[in-house]
Amino acid sequence: MIRTPLRPLARILPARDKGENPDAIERENIRKRHEEMQDRARSRAESRLLVLGVFFFCAFAVVGARMGHLATSEAVEPVASATGAAIAAQRADITDRHGRIMATNFETHSLYAQPPQMVDPLAAAEGLVKVFPDLDKERLIKDFTGKRKFVWIKKRISPEQKQAVHDLGDPGLLFGPREMRLYPNGPVAAHVLGGAGFGKEGVSAAEVIGVAGVEKQFDGYLRDPANGTKPLQLALDLTVQAAAEQVLYGGMKLMNAKGATSIIMDVHSGEVVSVVSLPDFDPNDRPQVLVEGDQSDSPLFNRAVQGVYELGSTFKIFAAAQAVDLGLVNAETIIDTSGPMRVGGHPIGEFKNKNYGKISVSEVIVKSSNRGTGRLALQIGTKRQKAFLGALGMFDPTPFEIVEAAGAQPLLPKRWTDLSAVTISYGHGISTTPMHLAAGYAAIANGGRYVSPTILKQKGPQYGPRVMSAEAALAARQMLRAVVTSGTASFGEVPGYAVGGKTGTADKPKPRGGYYKDKVIATFASIFPAHDPKYVVVVTLDEPSVHTYGEDRRTAGWTAVPVTAELIGRVAPLLGVRPDVEPGQVAGITLTSN
Amino acid sequence: MSYLEYSVKSTPSGPRKILYLNWPLTLLLISVAGVGFLMLYSVAGGSFTPWAEPQIKRFALGMAVMLCVAMVPIWFWRNMAAVAYGASIILLISVEFFGSVGMGAQRWIDLGFMRLQPSEVTKITMVMLLAAYYDWLPAKRTSRPLWVLLPVLFILLPTFLVLRQPDLGTSILLLAAGGGLMFLAGVHWAYFAAVIAAGVGLVTAVFRSRGTDWQLLKDYQYRRIDTFLDPASDPLGAGYHITQSKIALGSGGWTGRGFMQGTQSRLNFLPEKHTDFIFTTLAEEFGFVGGFSLLALYALIIVFCIVTALLTRDRFSSLVTLGIAITFFLFFAVNMSMVMGLAPVVGVPLPMVSYGGSAMLVLMGAFGIVQSAHIHRPR
Repeated sequence: MIRTPLRPLARILPARDKGENPDAIERENIRKRHEEMQDRARSRAESRLLVLGVFFFCAFAVVGARMGHLATSEAVEPVASATGAAIAAQRADITDRHGRIMATNFETHSLYAQPPQMVDPLAAAEGLVKVFPDLDKERLIKDFTGKRKFVWIKKRISPEQKQAVHDLGDPGLLFGPREMRLYPNGPVAAHVLGGAGFGKEGVSAAEVIGVAGVEKQFDGYLRDPANGTKPLQLALDLTVQAAAEQVLYGGMKLMNAKGATSIIMDVHSGEVVSVVSLPDFDPNDRPQVLVEGDQSDSPLFNRAVQGVYELGSTFKIFAAAQAVDLGLVNAETIIDTSGPMRVGGHPIGEFKNKNYGKISVSEVIVKSSNRGTGRLALQIGTKRQKAFLGALGMFDPTPFEIVEAAGAQPLLPKRWTDLSAVTISYGHGISTTPMHLAAGYAAIANGGRYVSPTILKQKGPQYGPRVMSAEAALAARQMLRAVVTSGTASFGEVPGYAVGGKTGTADKPKPRGGYYKDKVIATFASIFPAHDPKYVVVVTLDEPSVHTYGEDRRTAGWTAVPVTAELIGRVAPLLGVRPDVEPGQVAGITLTSN
Repeated sequence: MSYLEYSVKSTPSGPRKILYLNWPLTLLLISVAGVGFLMLYSVAGGSFTPWAEPQIKRFALGMAVMLCVAMVPIWFWRNMAAVAYGASIILLISVEFFGSVGMGAQRWIDLGFMRLQPSEVTKITMVMLLAAYYDWLPAKRTSRPLWVLLPVLFILLPTFLVLRQPDLGTSILLLAAGGGLMFLAGVHWAYFAAVIAAGVGLVTAVFRSRGTDWQLLKDYQYRRIDTFLDPASDPLGAGYHITQSKIALGSGGWTGRGFMQGTQSRLNFLPEKHTDFIFTTLAEEFGFVGGFSLLALYALIIVFCIVTALLTRDRFSSLVTLGIAITFFLFFAVNMSMVMGLAPVVGVPLPMVSYGGSAMLVLMGAFGIVQSAHIHRPR
């Protein structure tokens, strides 16, 4: 940069000669230079300003052009339904074994509000409270006048309610189509079906998801669009189920029980044609889960597959069957049931301290002798007993395809001692569900092969591995028949249906150990017809108590057995089992009777 | 030429000063504010309450503030710049501790009779400080790195504080206004090129950081950007504003539906219709003609600010006037762009029209400085 000097000698020297002050020249030059710099800065600033001005102008032009563009464009409402992932709403139906609808879908509407669009929130809230008395007006007003842009009011409303809300005429109250699950039979088979709720909820659709029972167990299948409209067919028979519920409900009331459960199961295919647990509920309006107290008191509790109970003497038949199967005894072998009997230091007693003396194996079952089956169990030994019960599925979670079953784990002794073997032989020290018991009885009934209970319709027999010989099974069946004809289950006789079965009355355990003296679980596990069994029926009453012949009676023979008889008499015709004359005694075995 | 070289006699003094106001600018401000009153009256459904009346009172107060500021010689404001800037920074920091929380952001200090929004004040004090800085700085040093770094710090400090409140819109405004002022002051092109390159890099980083542990913006800020990029993605949620305001603009057409006839804003389809989105009401009721007229009024305000800047002979006057013009421009340009879907929704009001106290008062004070520069220019 070439600078002009502030004190150019060419000017200073003449100025000095003239006697002028040369500093004035310097000052003048400094001022000039300063002005030059100012001007340069200014011109640069002005060029910068020009750039900025161009930028401003462009911005104005863009905004103006955009304004014109919008002004000429059509005012198009956004399509709200275009947003949100499509919700696959179609859910497959559930039918019974004959194709009768048990669960289906139903088109309804939801009601929601968009407060920013409401014309008169206060009037709308007032009107809504008139249509839906359960709504809280204060809360609605708060929601409508607050900052919320979206408020759910009702998840599902009836057509009449929809019309009433429509008549309120507020543009901020909106309806969305909504598919909901409908159980047209109400509480029938409530525990099996479970129920459904809403998963992902959108304005225009909601996803129906199973929350319990088969709805949850087979949720994937029911929702899978690949299955089309093919329903899920259950093994249940709607008619049988309804009849069973009715009979069992009456029985529960009559026997003053607080709960009851019944299972009717095909002994060959394992199909459960009816499973009832009382008290029940309406799956259309599932009750809330208990937040405190015992879950087993909730109507949602499925006693048949979740209720793990000591099922008492019903287990005796397994000891007898296994002893016959192993060749240790036959039905006529005499067992000494006289007391006292001590195992592992503990006395083994009989009901009401009876003493049956020396009786046959068959009579051990007929009279339900604890000491008798205890002796058999000691002969069998712990290992073989354990293996046998394991083969019958007594150690696994309830083998049943509803979601609650997997959580029901049988309670077993920690150490399987001789004492355990003896008590287990008469159904104490082992807790299983009635469904486990039904599976065990089915194996006896079908000739010795394990079948797993199933809720799904099957085609023909579904035999599992053999767990006992056909002969042992036959002997056990004859013993069961004798229990009805001449034993503890004499009220179980249903003319024409040759019921066989075994009673079991177990004292209920206290939560903190020990047993209640006056609370029992009364069970009757039965098969019919005994000479050619088609079905297993297990009826369990929770805390039954009847006052007959001058005393309070709780044993299964007085409670569960008559209920079962009523049940079989009612459902056998529905199941297509015709009453039949019992054929003569087979295999030359004489059923002794006292 | 510095202030002290002014012939004091060449500038008006006493009450005569009022005759030397930049009258066109004053009238423009009154007419823009008048548009605001009309809109607030209309939005309230033909009622002075709850918005129009307080707004008129505030504007009257604002006019008084403007006149008072205008009467004070411009060199006083230059000398006060650093003090004012420091005070506003202290206010910004104190919001962190004493501010009341409004709409998810901590932006206000409650003074009792009004709520002071320090970030609004900072927009002006920062411009004043930068103008004073470049007035003080010899021109030849303008582009030296050290002397560039200093104003950058002056800009970044309040930007950072405002971003923490969090108020993305104001911090962008601060950044842009400060940058614009430095550009006008003659800082070398290369710096701006570098900053723009870095800005692009930052934007990339911001988007890359989404969903990671070091996420740079809040979720709602990302959503706003998403919504800007695709408003249709969420028409009932975050995209609601934009979609509805576009509908309002479209339904206004060329001449509008007529005063108080707007449906979109009348039926409460638009939240914040009296604040940031008031332009939609104008566009719906007066159409393109009305909207463009307001735009023209704004443009004229800018033009008269530039005129004042060209008339003055000193750096502070011209830079502070232009800085205020840039700030004002950014206000309405960002607001209109956001309403029309040209920019993401950042909380920037429409200057002089939107309902709001501190923004209007601060702007009127700023125009008072412009008027002061106009009155006290050398003749």
